[in-house]
Amino acid sequence: MANLQNIRRRIRSVKSIQKITNAMDMIARSRFNAARDTLLMNLPYVEKTRDIIRRLMSQMKGLEDQSPYIMTRQELKEIQERADGKFLFLVIASDKGLAGAYASNVFKEAHETIEYDGDDEGSDTETQEENFHKRNFDAVKDLKKAPRQQQLKATKGVATAGARRARPSGGGSSAGGNVGVAKEYNDAGYIDDVELITVGRKATTHFKQRGYNIIKQYHGISERPSYQYAQEIANLIIERFMSGEILDVTMIYTRFNSAISCTPDDVTLLPIITDDYAANTNTKEEYIYEPDIVSVLNNFLPQRLATRIYGAMLQSAASELSSRMNAMSNATDNAQELVGKLNLYYNKVRQAGITNEINEIVGGAEALK
Amino acid sequence: MSTIKLEIVTPDRGEILSKDINMLIVRSTAGELGILPRHARLLTELVPHAMRVKVDGGESLVAIGGGFMEVTPELITVLAKSAELPDDIDVDRAKAALKRAEERVAAYKQTTKETLIDIARANSALARAKARLLVKNVPFN
Repeated sequence: MANLQNIRRRIRSVKSIQKITNAMDMIARSRFNAARDTLLMNLPYVEKTRDIIRRLMSQMKGLEDQSPYIMTRQELKEIQERADGKFLFLVIASDKGLAGAYASNVFKEAHETIEYDGDDEGSDTETQEENFHKRNFDAVKDLKKAPRQQQLKATKGVATAGARRARPSGGGSSAGGNVGVAKEYNDAGYIDDVELITVGRKATTHFKQRGYNIIKQYHGISERPSYQYAQEIANLIIERFMSGEILDVTMIYTRFNSAISCTPDDVTLLPIITDDYAANTNTKEEYIYEPDIVSVLNNFLPQRLATRIYGAMLQSAASELSSRMNAMSNATDNAQELVGKLNLYYNKVRQAGITNEINEIVGGAEALK
Repeated sequence: MSTIKLEIVTPDRGEILSKDINMLIVRSTAGELGILPRHARLLTELVPHAMRVKVDGGESLVAIGGGFMEVTPELITVLAKSAELPDDIDVDRAKAALKRAEERVAAYKQTTKETLIDIARANSALARAKARLLVKNVPFN
């Protein structure tokens, strides 16, 4: 029989945990409201910019030579033929934990995209979004250096087993014993072909543990994104892209649907492949560019990149805070329930003790007769 | 009179303006442009200025802090870094900003080693401040 003091102690500790989670819930809630307001203010801008890009790019076929950011898939292949290109990924996650599955969902999506090796049949279902990385990869995968292919095949068996073991815990940053396996797996396949930019401490630790090449990391900006950082990241991406070593740049972030729903999402930032936009062309109308096409595009597209990253950072921030809010309010509810159960148990034990004592007294009195 | 829809959006304050207008006069990096309904498709970069919106014979001003403009036959979209309607502008703040910007531009002109970015930034701040005061119809200089 558990003793009363232990139960009391347990109740006290659960109650104080409940106070903490409740406080965190309220903090997250007020920050979330601010983040959502900023996001809602930014949304029309991002949407209008996207509309313009869609209209513009549908007319862009044949004009790929006017801007380094625009090309056909054929050109992408030619670049890969000249030199072995890498893929750059921007992963936006959180600085802190205690936000439910927020970070691990981002990592799951990130791994799925980064580790894509061309045999995913389900890739067609994702094409309604602007994730063209898989198509880009498919286009160049046959041109990738031969050793990589062999390596992939040789380690495939171990790899999948390793991956399977590594994945479930892959979410948290405490993969612990799986690190070795995961690293081996990654080394074999694609790690040399991948560069990462991470936003958020969680993302950095997660990918560093797995041995990825992180070229730049941003900490302390995920909850309150500022345009200045988005601009900085955009400049870095453009610099890397213009170096010619990067085949494509893909961003993984969390799209904010509502306070209770957010989904990880990935979009390809650069290059803009005209083939992807030409499909929904119905009219062929020439655009006029003032002063001229080259300077307008070379100012507009980097600007678009920065606003898009900023938008994604805002979406991620709102998602992170709403996830934390939900996680913390669930934790508070659970603590409440646990306290109730423990109280019931405590009273039962107490009552049992009293009954016992009465029994002893009655028994003692009987014996004296 | 035929109309064309004008939409102005900014990154931090959402949609500033959305209405049917008769004519829009803006200043792009290449010079002034007048946009009438059923204009050909056009994409251009805007400098900070006060753009003129003509509706039903009247004309109103909007202060634009630079950005881009896309024109399709039925829609003008202005992606502005900042945009302010006359009612949103605080004259005192705008005057103070103008003064600061003028001082900065003057300071940069005196230094021998010029950093191009800073000069561009100061100049665009100056243009923004002037645009605001122009919109508010406040004389300056």
